[in-house]
Amino acid sequence: MALLNSVLALRKDPRILKLPPYLSLLCILGGIAWLLVLPLQEYSRGTYVSENALLPGQVHTYFTGSEHNIFRAYRQEVHGLADKSIEERTRRLGDVFRSQNLKVATQRYKYHASGRNISNQNVYAILQGPRADATEAVVLIGAWRNMDNEINTSGVALVLTLARYFKRWSLWSKDIIFLVSGDSTSGPQAWVDAYHDSHSSDAVEPLSIKSGALQGAIAVDYPAGPWGHRYDKLHIVYDGVNGQLPNLDLFNTAVSIANGQMGIGCTLQRMWKHDDKYQDRLQTVVRGMMSQGLGHATGPHSSFIPYHVDAITLQTVGDGWHDEMSLGRTVESLFRSLNNLLEHLHQSFFFYLLMQANRFVSIGTYLPSAMVIAVNFSITAIALWVASGRSATIPNPASTDHKDKNAAVTVVEKDGAKAIIPTAALEITERSLFLPLGFVLSSHFIGLLPLYIFNNTSQSYLNLAFNATTAITTILPLATAFALSSVKQPTEQETTLVQCFSLLLLGMFLSALATLNFSLSFLIGIAASPLSFTRAIHAPPASSPTSPPPSFLKKNRTAISVAQATLIAALNPLVLMKIAALVWKVDITDILVKAAEGWHVWGLWTQVVVWLAWWPAWFCGAVVVGSGLFS
Amino acid sequence: MLSFLALLLLHALIAPALAASDYSERLLLRPLPQNALLASFNFRSNESSTAFEQQNFRYFPRSLAQILQHAGTKELHLRFSLGRWDAESWGQRPWNGAREGGTGVELWAWVEAQDQEEAFARWLSLTNTLSGLFCASLNFIDATKTIRPVMTFQPEGDHQNSSHLHLLHGTLPHEVVCTENLTPFLKLLPCKGKAGISSLLDGHKLFDASWQTMAIDVVPVCAEGGECVLEMEQTVDMVLDIDRSKRPRDNPIPRPLPIEEIECDTSKPYNAHDTCYPIHKTTEPGFSLADLYGRPIKGACPLTDDEGEGANTVCINTPPERTIDIKTDGAYVENKLQSDTLRCYKLPTGSDFDLVLPEQQMTTGLVHQEPPLSAARHINGHGQEHGSVQAVIKNPSPTDSVEFVYLESLPWFMKPYIHTLRARVSGSSESPIKETYYRPAVDRARGTHLELRMVIPPSSTLTVTYDFEKAILRYTEYPPDANRGFDVAPAVIRLISPASADNKGIYLRTTSLLLPLPTPDFSMPYNVIILTSTVMALGFGNIFNLLVRRFVGADEVPTLGAGGLKGLIRGRVERLRARFAAKRKAT
Repeated sequence: MALLNSVLALRKDPRILKLPPYLSLLCILGGIAWLLVLPLQEYSRGTYVSENALLPGQVHTYFTGSEHNIFRAYRQEVHGLADKSIEERTRRLGDVFRSQNLKVATQRYKYHASGRNISNQNVYAILQGPRADATEAVVLIGAWRNMDNEINTSGVALVLTLARYFKRWSLWSKDIIFLVSGDSTSGPQAWVDAYHDSHSSDAVEPLSIKSGALQGAIAVDYPAGPWGHRYDKLHIVYDGVNGQLPNLDLFNTAVSIANGQMGIGCTLQRMWKHDDKYQDRLQTVVRGMMSQGLGHATGPHSSFIPYHVDAITLQTVGDGWHDEMSLGRTVESLFRSLNNLLEHLHQSFFFYLLMQANRFVSIGTYLPSAMVIAVNFSITAIALWVASGRSATIPNPASTDHKDKNAAVTVVEKDGAKAIIPTAALEITERSLFLPLGFVLSSHFIGLLPLYIFNNTSQSYLNLAFNATTAITTILPLATAFALSSVKQPTEQETTLVQCFSLLLLGMFLSALATLNFSLSFLIGIAASPLSFTRAIHAPPASSPTSPPPSFLKKNRTAISVAQATLIAALNPLVLMKIAALVWKVDITDILVKAAEGWHVWGLWTQVVVWLAWWPAWFCGAVVVGSGLFS
Repeated sequence: MLSFLALLLLHALIAPALAASDYSERLLLRPLPQNALLASFNFRSNESSTAFEQQNFRYFPRSLAQILQHAGTKELHLRFSLGRWDAESWGQRPWNGAREGGTGVELWAWVEAQDQEEAFARWLSLTNTLSGLFCASLNFIDATKTIRPVMTFQPEGDHQNSSHLHLLHGTLPHEVVCTENLTPFLKLLPCKGKAGISSLLDGHKLFDASWQTMAIDVVPVCAEGGECVLEMEQTVDMVLDIDRSKRPRDNPIPRPLPIEEIECDTSKPYNAHDTCYPIHKTTEPGFSLADLYGRPIKGACPLTDDEGEGANTVCINTPPERTIDIKTDGAYVENKLQSDTLRCYKLPTGSDFDLVLPEQQMTTGLVHQEPPLSAARHINGHGQEHGSVQAVIKNPSPTDSVEFVYLESLPWFMKPYIHTLRARVSGSSESPIKETYYRPAVDRARGTHLELRMVIPPSSTLTVTYDFEKAILRYTEYPPDANRGFDVAPAVIRLISPASADNKGIYLRTTSLLLPLPTPDFSMPYNVIILTSTVMALGFGNIFNLLVRRFVGADEVPTLGAGGLKGLIRGRVERLRARFAAKRKAT
């Protein structure tokens, strides 16, 4: 108890308020350092297949011989459809499936986003498994156009050939659905939405035939033309919409089959050259985090993952000696493994960071880094709350400095003993919460405005809207601060509380987000970390003989405030986005168009986090700094 | 194009003729589109009810008869099914669906009993004994899986002599039908799979079929004012994929054919030695019974009739132009019926019999009869909490409206919201529901039972939807494969009008559903949560303690004089003394 009392007594210690900034800094540095050690051999693990039923690569594959001749013919057919109309293409692909005695259906979809029309058709065929009772199904996807908008000639031909080949086997215990989607993102989304009957009926046609619960989906992306192209590696794409990931077992099975059974190297996150060095691993992790953080659809598989259907895309890359048949055999073996599944994939991890095709860290290992960064905001918020309850500096009654002699004192009498205490120490500081709370809440609501604008502006005006919003949001905090100071000068306590509440909310949002989308939380946490250290530096009260000499901060108030304001302006989410676009040489309009498509079609939530969590926190921080400038 | 009209319902025409003799069997083969072949095996044995009551069994299997007598069962229907009937390509179901069940095992029976409790007790003893007889998990049909249908099932037999009959119905959708169920099935036959058409029934081929159903029906049949007989009908219907079944057992792998054996479309401009667009074969595939079943028929079962209808044991329903060769050493008789579209054969006794149909280019296509209704049922939505069921029922007929009963038997952990039940007919605002029978579920005691009588107008689509909630099971109630999901029994549809020509009825079943329930993660994270909660509780406890406890100085606490060991002992002594004083006062 004695220890506890001494700890409690520390509350009164002025030094305790000096500690939080250092603690916050420690948290941020700790979070970054935590991430940096993950690629080390000691902190990551080798992947392994948890689900015993999968038995990857344990079966012989027979997709060879005359199937190759048929594949070439189908590839010519698909190539011949390249310049045909959508209806013609759908009809012809349907005819091929129909000649294989499969059940065929088509689906139209028509989305509107950023003033564009995204309309196309999906065609799919169901192979009713001879051992199946229509309760479970797996999907093989060949999107007509891949993510780079190339025609997926060999991929679609492979789907057609495999459909014909799979039909002859009698061992399928699940239905197999062959889906040729119109494009790589919206088409699969329309299909999977309609499959679960959660589509909007004016944009998407319902599916006329269905099968059972989907257990997995594999997409093939092989855009080689009619004369083929030998590839070097398989690029396995696994990111889902909103940073959701497929079960690690599916990824491991694919790697194990491609690598172990077929001898095809696997790569991920566009790391074409990976020497398994620290830098390469870190780079893979960071690329994975960028992709996960953006939450965009990375392939035809992405739309399946939100429905708890584990899915990956196999993409051929490079120039090598592997041909379409080895890809076909990989898919065959993968489907044999999926066919073995007795239960939905659940054994392995759903939250992981991959640093190589066979090395990963799981959520238990990496989560603390984002959490610690989120905690730094909470620590600062608590410190600011405590600080806001403190009155102005209490003069030391025992001081020999003659200036302090004039401070008001109160005589306190208890049990016959008398004490002289400075009046300031006895005063209770009331916190006025109305302005801070109202301000923080309304700034979160302001975020709805850009969210609406960017999701509903047509493509041609998006760039203009972006530039205008950047300019407005840069000036807005200063203008708000100026307006506030001219209407009602906010007190030092009020600005402290504004910052306190906004950081408290940011800390809460980010720690909750870390469990859903680690990467997004981490990235926003890093980008917003300076908000923990900026402060409103108010003008010292009109100098009176009693006041202490102004500190260094107060003396250089304007200079420091301007520096802070500049730093904060550079941290504007929009400015950061512009810088990122310049660094990666992407057109900002493309990003915004994709984001709007994501919002309307894929159910993307990244912009909600940006506009309703990150941007308001930045805005509050900027206004606080600005109010110091104008006080 | 010439068209060949398949017979409306061969089974219905053949059946009455068979009823006369004491034992008869028949195999009907019917080639279906897409290289499929329907094989319907039917075995029928009769026993007069007096002989039955005296336990004097000739053709009726004693094991089953004693079970029926013990459980007071007057009419029994047992089904084992696998796969699904593809009505779109294969047309109307064999026996109008009256001899098939939903995926897994389905059992319904009329039990004679004084009241419901007795009926249920007899039902339990019936399921338990049948479970032993057929090596199936029928004993798992407990109260939660048993319903008492009101409109869907009608007795096929004549029950004038019985009173207080109770209909009970149970399904096991997850039961996997396998060889172990076939063996006891064959043992019930008089020829036990050694001779007659039952010699073709082999587990490897039967369970490789695209669709198969085994049925046992025990029905009392009474002649007009005369003697009653107990009729047992055993039926096996299967659809074989001819290509797949013809593969030899020692080489079952469908390796890619050598390119020389694939017919290429040479009209394609890119056709080359290494590029081949395969042509879809238009010829009817050739097959023989030995190809399909691995062996020919081992002669006739000696118990079948020598003369008349009952002697026509093997029938094949093909257009007359189809060549059929018979391979046998014995004497056989061929009968052509139904303007040559049905060819029936009397089997030779004691020598093998095989039908050989060569591959043939036909001028007449196979025509199948359109089914009166088609139905599909799916679970919509996703997530751990809610879902909805959607059943789509189509009436293809351009002229006739169809009245039917739709029966749903749902497990208790799938809780439907009946207020969300909607039935819509495309292009009509009128509700198609004429009558509803609903018995809600009771947790862990019984399942939901829903029967709807509905009318669907000509060439329209009826959609039935309702929402449901998923219950959370107790930790121990999950099966070992909890993450697979739980099977929901198929819906049963019985047509009321157009009525069936016989008393068997016209039935249709949807596929079963897989219902994913919220499943606890039975592994590591579960422990992590427990551990975290403990740490949280410890932290919370300390902080809560600090917040609510009043701290006072040690000298402010009222003490019993001096503290320490002395004080403690004195306190104890005082307490003892007080207790003695109290006792003395009481006495």
